[in-house]
Amino acid sequence: MLEVRAGDVGKLEELFDRHHRPLFRYFVHLTANRAASEDLVQEVFFRILKYRHTYQPEISFRAWMYQIGRNVHMDQAGRRKAEVAMPENAGDFGGSEILPDRQVQNKQEVALLHRALAALPREKREVLVMSRFLDLKYDEIASVLKCEVGTVKVRVYRALRELGDRFFALGGERAS
Amino acid sequence: MICDRIREQIPECLAGRLDPAARERVIDHLDTCSACRAEMAELGAVWRGLESMPEPEPSQAMRTRFLEMLSAYQEGYQEAQRKQAYAVPRKTWWAGLWPSRPAWQAAFSAALLIAGVLGGRYLAAPRAVETVNSEMAQLRGQIENLRQLVTLSMLQQDSPSARLRGVTYSYQVAQPDQQVEQALLHAVNHDSNINVRLSAVDALAKFGNNPEVRRALVDSLPVQDSPLVQIALIDLLVQFNDKDAAPELRKLAQDGQANPEVRQRASASLQKLEVSR
Repeated sequence: MLEVRAGDVGKLEELFDRHHRPLFRYFVHLTANRAASEDLVQEVFFRILKYRHTYQPEISFRAWMYQIGRNVHMDQAGRRKAEVAMPENAGDFGGSEILPDRQVQNKQEVALLHRALAALPREKREVLVMSRFLDLKYDEIASVLKCEVGTVKVRVYRALRELGDRFFALGGERAS
Repeated sequence: MICDRIREQIPECLAGRLDPAARERVIDHLDTCSACRAEMAELGAVWRGLESMPEPEPSQAMRTRFLEMLSAYQEGYQEAQRKQAYAVPRKTWWAGLWPSRPAWQAAFSAALLIAGVLGGRYLAAPRAVETVNSEMAQLRGQIENLRQLVTLSMLQQDSPSARLRGVTYSYQVAQPDQQVEQALLHAVNHDSNINVRLSAVDALAKFGNNPEVRRALVDSLPVQDSPLVQIALIDLLVQFNDKDAAPELRKLAQDGQANPEVRQRASASLQKLEVSR
């Protein structure tokens, strides 16, 4: 990113190749809309180019990118006034590698988990997605959310706890 | 209190991000606390369950769009740098030439005035037509590039009205440009605003000679959710007299799920295309 900031904007292609997939997944988890998520990714990389001189190497590129991503999403959500709710079939993201004999049971569980995740408040869903799916470290999440690492720790735990409660309530059973 | 602190570390423990000492403390506590053990088991099941969730993959078109945006930006950036490179030495050159004494400054100004008058007379004389033409062509080329850049940049904006202005601006691009064409096609297929989509369909009218554009418009017909856009697409394909659109139009005319007006327009267009055959 330092090379991009110095004017070698062609290097952004490497950063795009490395980061666009997780960024796209982040937006899909927030919006449940693939086309809108692709537009949001495009907008993030456009803003990275436009504001590249503001990048400071004290924080990781990933954290800076998700800070921009968060702003882009909030701008868009603000314009649309109401956030798009995750549809119940939002789990149909693509193919699955699960073995056939376990497929039915797992499919149901995954669908329930998806519904539970979609039903989480946005802040909790976001922090959980960052930690679980994007593999961001707590200090990176703290940079994105502009809070302390200790706060991130508590938020991830509470989000996972609430996800568990909702998942087991949907399944009508709790693990013993 | 201890339980609270231990539980807050469960997600990190499950992700394998705890350092060995902290992990040891969690394990020691779990050995003695059955409530925290149950918590770990439950949250562990949920954590692992999340792993089975299929991950969405972006389309290949996203990368293409990014590369188009990057290349447009690079062109604009290099152009700006070239201008800057010219601007800097000129400043130094003038500064070096300007004499420091007032008397010399006055003499220099008078010399410049005379040179200006003589130069003006010389330039007023008819110049070689070829030189003028080549300069004009160069200037037109630069304006054309600028228009393409402005169009592409406006089509990327968040605000629908800015994107609409981008579509309108594309009419000023005289030469059919591939990037502009792709940006307009993308607007037809993906823009969230119907007005932008409709304007983009109209703006593509001048790209009718390109078979790829016609193909893309035919492909867009079944995926559009707005009957207005579908009707605009059908009209444009008839305007192009695109015979290859007939199978898709026939499908649409017979589609019970489609809007009745769209079906009607599709079957009327089929007749027009067959009459002109």
